[in-house]
Amino acid sequence: MSKTLSLLIFLGMTAFFACFFAYPIWAALESAFQGPDHKFTLDYVSEVFLNELYREGLWNSFIIAVWTTLGALCLALPLAVCYVRFAFPGRALLNSLVLMPMILPPFVGAIGIKTMLGQAGALNSLLINLGLMDAMHPTDWLGQHRMLGIIVMEVLHLYPIIYLNAAAALSNLDPALEEAAANMGCNAWSRFWRITLPLIMPGVFAGGTIVFVWSSTEMGVPLLFDYDRVTAVQIFRSINDLSGNPFPYALVAVMLVFSTLFYLTGKLFFGSSSSSGGERATTGRETIALPASLGWVCTAFFAGVTILAVLPHLGVVLLSFSKDWYGTAIPHSLTLAHYRNALGHELTLSSIANSLKYSTLAMLVALVLGTGVAYVSVRTRIWGRQILDAMAMLPLAVPGIVMAFGYLAMTREGQPFHWLMLGEDPLLLLVIAYAVRRLPYVVRSAAAGFQQVSPTLEEAAQNLGARPEKALWRITLPLVAPNLVAGALLAFSFAMLEVSDSMILAQQATYFPITKAIYSLVLSLGSGPNLASELGVWAMIFLAVTILGAGVILGKKLGALFRG
Amino acid sequence: MVTITIQELTKRFSGSVVLSSVNLQIDAGELFFLLGPSGCGKTTLLRHIAGFYAPDAGKIWFDDEDVTRLPAHKRGTGMMFQSYALWPHLNVAQNVAFGLEERKRPRREIEHRVSEALEQVKLDGLGSRKIQQLSGGQQQRVALARALVIRPKCLLLDEPLSNLDAKLRLEMRTEIRHIVKQHGLTAIYVTHDRDEALSMADRMAIMDAGKLVQVDAPPDIYRNPATRMVAEFIGETNFIEGRTLRASSREGFLDVETPFGVLRGRTDGTWQPASGQPVLLSIRPEALTFGSVLDSPNRFPGHIIDTTYLGASVQYLIQVSGGPLIKVCETNPQDIRVPGEEEVRVMAAMGDVVILRK
Repeated sequence: MSKTLSLLIFLGMTAFFACFFAYPIWAALESAFQGPDHKFTLDYVSEVFLNELYREGLWNSFIIAVWTTLGALCLALPLAVCYVRFAFPGRALLNSLVLMPMILPPFVGAIGIKTMLGQAGALNSLLINLGLMDAMHPTDWLGQHRMLGIIVMEVLHLYPIIYLNAAAALSNLDPALEEAAANMGCNAWSRFWRITLPLIMPGVFAGGTIVFVWSSTEMGVPLLFDYDRVTAVQIFRSINDLSGNPFPYALVAVMLVFSTLFYLTGKLFFGSSSSSGGERATTGRETIALPASLGWVCTAFFAGVTILAVLPHLGVVLLSFSKDWYGTAIPHSLTLAHYRNALGHELTLSSIANSLKYSTLAMLVALVLGTGVAYVSVRTRIWGRQILDAMAMLPLAVPGIVMAFGYLAMTREGQPFHWLMLGEDPLLLLVIAYAVRRLPYVVRSAAAGFQQVSPTLEEAAQNLGARPEKALWRITLPLVAPNLVAGALLAFSFAMLEVSDSMILAQQATYFPITKAIYSLVLSLGSGPNLASELGVWAMIFLAVTILGAGVILGKKLGALFRG
Repeated sequence: MVTITIQELTKRFSGSVVLSSVNLQIDAGELFFLLGPSGCGKTTLLRHIAGFYAPDAGKIWFDDEDVTRLPAHKRGTGMMFQSYALWPHLNVAQNVAFGLEERKRPRREIEHRVSEALEQVKLDGLGSRKIQQLSGGQQQRVALARALVIRPKCLLLDEPLSNLDAKLRLEMRTEIRHIVKQHGLTAIYVTHDRDEALSMADRMAIMDAGKLVQVDAPPDIYRNPATRMVAEFIGETNFIEGRTLRASSREGFLDVETPFGVLRGRTDGTWQPASGQPVLLSIRPEALTFGSVLDSPNRFPGHIIDTTYLGASVQYLIQVSGGPLIKVCETNPQDIRVPGEEEVRVMAAMGDVVILRK
């Protein structure tokens, strides 16, 4: 590609990032740090720390994130070790099944958990039927332990991210490093702690960082559990009196600072690739064949985790088909009525149409931008290309709710970007928001593609007379197409599921995307929850199809997209 | 230092045999080489001795101890890996100290022995360096120090020099042999580089397709190869097909009928071909000369069709009249012959014509 074109892409990308990533964050921060007299003030932020309610919210967010990360580690590390080290029945299939929870929208699962763990829910009914519980005094699982419910839901949703990272780190490890330790007299247990774990730490920590930032700022799950005492929900609740209220912005600022600090700390301590093991593996790793009984223990472990993680969503599917699910372990009778009703309900059809529209557009934007960034950072020697690449990955570190508030702040009346609102239609804003949030996945996917395709292929085309642009178009792009498609599909499916931006930026029912429609249906009475779960099932179907497609196209490389 | 005895060792990987009834004894204090083309099973054999593989059949003994089922971390061998396998999260000294820590040595002793080992491989003062800050040659020395510092029962070296540049490789050959001999270690060295094996080994085994083809000292293997494969693998050679004329002959020499006349040669002394048996003659290029050899019937008239000048030597490709192409190597060449129609004559001493089974 000619230098001018590269430069143009570089400048265009930088401008886009300045407008729609840096500026919104700035706008949110400005509102947090600017007093009524347009002067810098720390009053609002300090008020956040003085206010007991906000303090509690921050503390709870932190606690949830810590336990979620620890829980996910405890599930994912043993799984990853089993997968990489041992051969057991069903290993290949279980390896993909165990990833499934990642594509199941957690806030949809929350509906399932609520149905199953409520006072008249499935679990209590089961326990009563088994005679393990007094029917007169059912336990209110979610009453006292709502935070536990949130943590469980998020652990079950997020552990695949750590699993993918840990499994990749483990299989990249040169087996000779462990053999050398064995040769020096080190037994298997001490080998794991002294050699293996320290060497896979960067990978594990990269995954852990994403999980931590994700769970500390997660809004959908606590919202559906009706749990107001976390920062993300507090911010959402205060959205209605935004105009004059600087505190949500101050909260957003605090949240941003914390998550960025955490992300940077992670990068600083564990990000240096210098101490990751094994570039020149000389002996291939062989999986150890376990004795039959132990092999089946591994199989059961994998299957158990998968079933546990899918259970809430199975609840949702059941709920969407059930006539009346109340006080029984499984629904009495099934019906398709909700699906029929849903067709008539104003919110369902329009929200599906809206989501498809927003997500498709966002996918296209992310695809174009992501390919551009990846190309510039992998194939050119322009100054600042690494900065561009790093910038494109930053949305992973910035909580969605921060971005959403940034967009809100920068499109307020009188702001230069007010026109983006198109009156009340959030189309442009949501498309930009979705695209920016999911850009990292497209960039990594495309960059991996460009790295695999040797530049000499393109040079050969030029040597035979193709102009640089033509060579790119005819040779390189077709070769990286699978990566681009996979990245785009991921961007699409995650846009379909996006919660924070959807909740905050879509204000009118006619413009609701699926996620917000589900939320408002859950709140409504009557068959609302059934309709909501029916929408949830639709969302899951869309997701399953796209992710499966991405998985088929990208094969084993799917994991590379979730490494921080 | 131990004597290593290997009995009937057999190993299959997913059906295919990689080691087939290997029997071998390596004496205490011996620097022993396993040499063979890639995929011949030499590294697999080494990894069995280290304990990373368990054989399907057969036994491995360290002196009188049967170690066949002993896990790797209890064998007390010191191994140098091809990739060095230095742990990147530990610095030089920590890498070297690891084995001593596992052996629960007191801290003062560890410190002392680590600095001693680093000194021995000429890395004194670099203990606090990170592995990534070292050059390939230095990393190789750390790996050697790490294997030596535990005073291993035997030293196992898996192509330790293959990642170094040519000059460093030559230096390290002498140095490794020196260190091994100084410690009186039993050492097993795997390589596919025949010069490395010839120049360093006390004895060596040539492996092919999971079998030991020949076990001997370097000069014996070079001079008396047991098979065509060994003759070819250990150095360049010319093969000529023929048929023995007489079953026995004076002074152990035999006459062989070939497409261009009768040649006289010898076997390695362990067998005698029957009269009329088809055999293969092996003559090394440097054994052929343009000068005349007294008392030898081995004469090849032909003409030069290609000349390759190599500085220390010159190689000629000669079309023998009515026969195959043969390679001739002349060392310290004074005047270089050019290809042409002019007839040349090369000769070989009878002792340099080796008769092989066909």
